[in-house]
Amino acid sequence: MNLDIAISGIGVVGGFGCGREALARALRAGRTPVGKASFMTPEGPAQLPAYLADTAPLERFVAKRELRRIDHFSRMAMLGGFLALEDAGMLEADRSRLGVVIATGYGASRTTFSFLDSIFDGGDALASPTHFSSSVHNAAAAHSSILLKATGPSLTVSQFEMSVPSALLAACLWLEEERVDAVLFGGVDECGELLHYCWQRFFPTATAETIRPLDFERQSAVAGEGAAFMLLTRSAGAVAPLGRIRQVLQGNAEGGVPALPGDAVLFLGADGHRECGAAYRGLPENALLATYAPLYGSLPVGPAFDLAVAALSCRENQLFPAPSGGSRGIGLQPEALAGRSICCLKFGTDGDFGLIRVEK
Amino acid sequence: MTTKDKLKHILIEELNLEDITAEDIGDEEPLFGEGLGLDSLDAVELVVLVQRHFGIEIKDMEEGRAALQSIATLAAFIDGRRTA
Amino acid sequence: MRKHLPVAVTGLGCLCAAGADLAECMASLFAGKRQPKAPTLFTTGHAVAYPVFEAPLAEPEQAGLLRTSRLALVAAAEALADSGWSPEALRGKRVGVCIGTTIGGTTSDEGFCRALRAGVHPDLAPMKRILGSNPARSLAREFGFTGPSQTIVNACSSGTDAVGIGASWIRAGFCDLVLAGGADELGRVTYNGFTSLMITDESPVKPFDKNRKGLNLGEGAGMLVLESEMLRGRRNKAARGFVLGYGSACDAHHLTAPHPEGLGLKRALAEALQCSGLTPDAIAFVNAHGTGTPDNDRVESRVLSDVLPMVPFLSTKGYTGHTLGAAGAIEAVFTLACLEQRRIPANVGFSEPDPELPATPVREITVVQGAAALSESLAFGGNNAVLALGRGES
Repeated sequence: MNLDIAISGIGVVGGFGCGREALARALRAGRTPVGKASFMTPEGPAQLPAYLADTAPLERFVAKRELRRIDHFSRMAMLGGFLALEDAGMLEADRSRLGVVIATGYGASRTTFSFLDSIFDGGDALASPTHFSSSVHNAAAAHSSILLKATGPSLTVSQFEMSVPSALLAACLWLEEERVDAVLFGGVDECGELLHYCWQRFFPTATAETIRPLDFERQSAVAGEGAAFMLLTRSAGAVAPLGRIRQVLQGNAEGGVPALPGDAVLFLGADGHRECGAAYRGLPENALLATYAPLYGSLPVGPAFDLAVAALSCRENQLFPAPSGGSRGIGLQPEALAGRSICCLKFGTDGDFGLIRVEK
Repeated sequence: MTTKDKLKHILIEELNLEDITAEDIGDEEPLFGEGLGLDSLDAVELVVLVQRHFGIEIKDMEEGRAALQSIATLAAFIDGRRTA
Repeated sequence: MRKHLPVAVTGLGCLCAAGADLAECMASLFAGKRQPKAPTLFTTGHAVAYPVFEAPLAEPEQAGLLRTSRLALVAAAEALADSGWSPEALRGKRVGVCIGTTIGGTTSDEGFCRALRAGVHPDLAPMKRILGSNPARSLAREFGFTGPSQTIVNACSSGTDAVGIGASWIRAGFCDLVLAGGADELGRVTYNGFTSLMITDESPVKPFDKNRKGLNLGEGAGMLVLESEMLRGRRNKAARGFVLGYGSACDAHHLTAPHPEGLGLKRALAEALQCSGLTPDAIAFVNAHGTGTPDNDRVESRVLSDVLPMVPFLSTKGYTGHTLGAAGAIEAVFTLACLEQRRIPANVGFSEPDPELPATPVREITVVQGAAALSESLAFGGNNAVLALGRGES
């Protein structure tokens, strides 16, 4: 199915900072400084490198009082959402026909942990209802809809690495079927004690400080968190400075590679996880490819950040240098987009893939 | 600290009412709606907080509704249970 | 908004406390039977044992999968068999999986977190199980389906949303066939969560009754096989029913409480009616959300009396408990089976009308006219979702 969905605004927050300009700066600089996440282990406090997001700028959009029950996960999503609306010039617009679609790999895992903590501390009878209701996976969509007064349909999709392409399928169909006039679409995932602890257990020998996404044999993932949102509208042939989504494919290639458009530049969702890296090795030798995970970190909703980078590339009509270098494909210098389309390609485990094709 | 003062601090701390201080909360001020602006989710959280901090159980919302009118009614409920 | 073409349903499957398959469930519903009891799947420290509806999961333990996915597999196998398709015959076809549940991938294994909290390195097995148990992914893997897979986590409307979105994949030509439905297991985490919200009844749930105190939790799975006209035409398969329309809207009001006037529900109902081209007088009955909580039932009764006056309605949660992410799918399956049988069961648990509720559910088995019905769900986060379903060709 050929789609024609315009990206009308971008809102991003992550280790690189907050907002479209911060992401563009990181793209130009080719790097994001990596922070440190602290967590507890049975041996005592520990640290891992991580790309962490600061949601303080949310107070520009929402009064502090309204945020009192809203956790870090939902705050990242809301900040992404407000920024995307602001970028699209829609901050003041009527939102009665705005849909909200959110993709998340792990949901509000910190709050889930807090809810369990309330049970560990006080027994079953002292379980916290506030933590419970904020730990449901659609809490970020709910808080966003409430504060934005977005009364259209709302959807949260959780499909691990496939969350973004899968959810985007729904967002595009809603627009195509004219259920809504616009969709606030985004991906969000968070870091936290439990994630870092599990990370250390699952990858005990991985000590990477830098993601090497094209080094498919090596576990070099560095945990990231953040939100990448965009406002999507029906293009209807109008000018779309941030690009248009022409195709969304998601499924299982049974170990192979899905059919790729010939002249496309591939933005690979490779993010340093060896288990998923193997699938990318099957790509054609001459494929033109770039990876941007070293700018935002390794997280299930990485493709939402790649989509934001694709939109920025359309806007500036150029490909940003890939921070992981150009062993094959795109080099260290920016180059003109020159009419080519961009395919954000993500492989999950067992042959799962998601493909999002964007054109200027 | 009186039960009322303790309750005010618990409210601010646990319900994240960072924008006010204990002095801002009137003893008779309604906790919900127009008063302090709390809602139904805060109400059930308060039930848990009362049990956690004072060891006193609010069985259901019928009992809860009467007790959770204001700081004064809640303090009276707690103190009543303690001496009973 | 465009009018939707009907999407054929060629297979149904269901597993919940009411029965191990759809036939058993329908027999229980029309016999008025239900057996809520204290949980046996887990223990709790509550003074009161809030009754639950546990599903009879006969399958041997598949150690690598969470119970939610195992429930989904059983209902999916039934639905596929009912449709006449074997997974092998579907190889090479564009088959999608769209499943509603409350959590798609969570890190909330209680034992794991408790051990960690106590300063012990827990075994990683529970985390591996979680990472391998995404419901849509589990079904696609089991049956070898290679189309899109989507796990919808819209809290308690997830099952309804999954069927509505699965149908849109068929209409858009993304898929030849979609396995759509919902699944959710009972567990301590949700049990403690709902108890903390003080919306569970310590006696069997009483939807729409004056003395309703809250919900009883349940578990299970409901699955539908949605099939394109092209595929169905090729094998001359009669439809067991149709997805005629789907509407959804957010209250944008409160995290846990429904909008007092049910504004989101009204918009979802309007959309479902409009895109299916149905008028209120064409609706044979409504399978309501009817959880038995004071708020939900009040809002739903008001909206139904407003939008669909005189249309008979019922909640089947008295037979199944609230199966959360599975509820919308189980109820869609029941709705189609009731259209097939041209009758609806009694709203079990309802005996005393509430003067605050302008509309009351059916008290006894009721013959229904008409070829279309609605199934509706309300959820945390203010989600409202409604399916318009049509009688099949048999």
